[in-house]
Amino acid sequence: MHISDGVLPVSVTIGGYAAGAALAAWSARRTGSDELPKVAVVTAAFFVASLIHIPLGPTSAHLLLPGLAGALLGPASFLAIALGLLLQSLLFQFGGLTALGANALMMGVPAIICGWIFRKFKGRTRLRHMAAGAGAGALGTAMAAIILAVLLATGGEDFFGVAEIALLAHVPVIIIEGVVSAFTIGFLFRVKPELLEHEFFKPTKARHG
Amino acid sequence: MADVIHIPLWYLPLLVLLPLVALAAAAVWLRRLAHRQSIAGEEPDWSVPPLASEKGDDSMLHRWDVRCKIVTIMIFSFVIASLSHLAPALAAVGISLIVLAISKACLARVLFRLLALAGFLGILAVVMPFTVPAHPGDTLVVFAGLDWLGLNMRGLLLAATIAARAVAIALLMEPLLSTAPLPVTLHGLSRLGVPEMASQMVLLSHRYVHVFRQEARRMSSGMQVRGFRKQTDFETLRIVANFLGMLFVRSFERTERVFEAMRARGYRGRFPEPVKLRIRPADILIAALWMAAAAALITYDRVIL
Repeated sequence: MHISDGVLPVSVTIGGYAAGAALAAWSARRTGSDELPKVAVVTAAFFVASLIHIPLGPTSAHLLLPGLAGALLGPASFLAIALGLLLQSLLFQFGGLTALGANALMMGVPAIICGWIFRKFKGRTRLRHMAAGAGAGALGTAMAAIILAVLLATGGEDFFGVAEIALLAHVPVIIIEGVVSAFTIGFLFRVKPELLEHEFFKPTKARHG
Repeated sequence: MADVIHIPLWYLPLLVLLPLVALAAAAVWLRRLAHRQSIAGEEPDWSVPPLASEKGDDSMLHRWDVRCKIVTIMIFSFVIASLSHLAPALAAVGISLIVLAISKACLARVLFRLLALAGFLGILAVVMPFTVPAHPGDTLVVFAGLDWLGLNMRGLLLAATIAARAVAIALLMEPLLSTAPLPVTLHGLSRLGVPEMASQMVLLSHRYVHVFRQEARRMSSGMQVRGFRKQTDFETLRIVANFLGMLFVRSFERTERVFEAMRARGYRGRFPEPVKLRIRPADILIAALWMAAAAALITYDRVIL
């Protein structure tokens, strides 16, 4: 769930832009300018992945994937998510022009944290990887939901009820994200383990020239 | 204390459920209409990014300098987001509609953008009237027999204001984005001080979204041919996860190939400049007029109301 335009107070949207730009700059610096075009192409894949809908009883939920993005991309994940949101508003859906910064924080900060957690706890076996993936996936969505609720609550007490319901609505999504992230990590562990071994995007000085 | 209006219980379906059903039906109908318009008989070619050069439309917004356009629409959007009353927000929707008419934007795409908003705004419209705390001077509508369920008119007004602001901004997205090819818009952004790498990344991922989308579509039709149907169960999650994993494996591999191909063609961190930008007096004039409208809206919102 993203926040649409016109919901947040203007001070929060501008603050969100400032904080988002600072984090994106940090993310770009950590990634290294040589690797940025690759981040752009991988972002496209994550964007397509987030369009997939999972049936949930009579309705369906689409994946948010902040945890998985963090696990696979590391610090570059913030940049990837900001880019993905920009693409979303470019292409078809609402990303919210004014709420872009706030939305990037909501998804990007959990991604960075989950990436760190995943790297810390993934261990060596496939089972450990899957457990760490499940944790990262579930925690990423949970944190995104909490940040969403906090951002909504900045609108004043009128928005507390909406924030509460938004938080509750994320509970099934958290479970789905955890399970899907675990299985995806398990699949990658079998098929292409080098994606999980090190940071895919790392600043390399030797490549120049 | 808040004013309380008591009305019989049977008004509940009339006042709450019927409008909701009507709204949902309208949304479904519009979606179908927009879908029919956009497809027009054949499957669109997704490998061609639709935002890059459309058919040769020409309007005031097409000729407007892209930097002026970006700055003006951004400032105007923030002004809209800061409006706190319903009437000026509705006036902003009016201004956006006029701009939309001038820009000759594709109506089906505008409809899609509005429909994407409908879910979020619909939830707000349902939730806010019932959860906004009652203040002195509020009008509460209480249905007989359901005393705990007070419909607060202030919440409804608040939700309507939010919806008007969101729609006013969403209506400006097509005039902002589709009146110039994407590379030109991004070039304008980087001339405004956004790092050039950022616009390059947007361009690249915009291109590859379409490539990967096609790939995902091919993979999912393969899965369907082999008998996979999505259901609410654990097995579906496992299969979707494998699908995602496969998508990532392919895309990471492709990333390396794309980057090497770019380097082989002489990519050194820059794309060539798509156009030379020049600001004419008329560009400034349009921006000034639009900003005057924004100032009028703010005055209406803050001083008059």
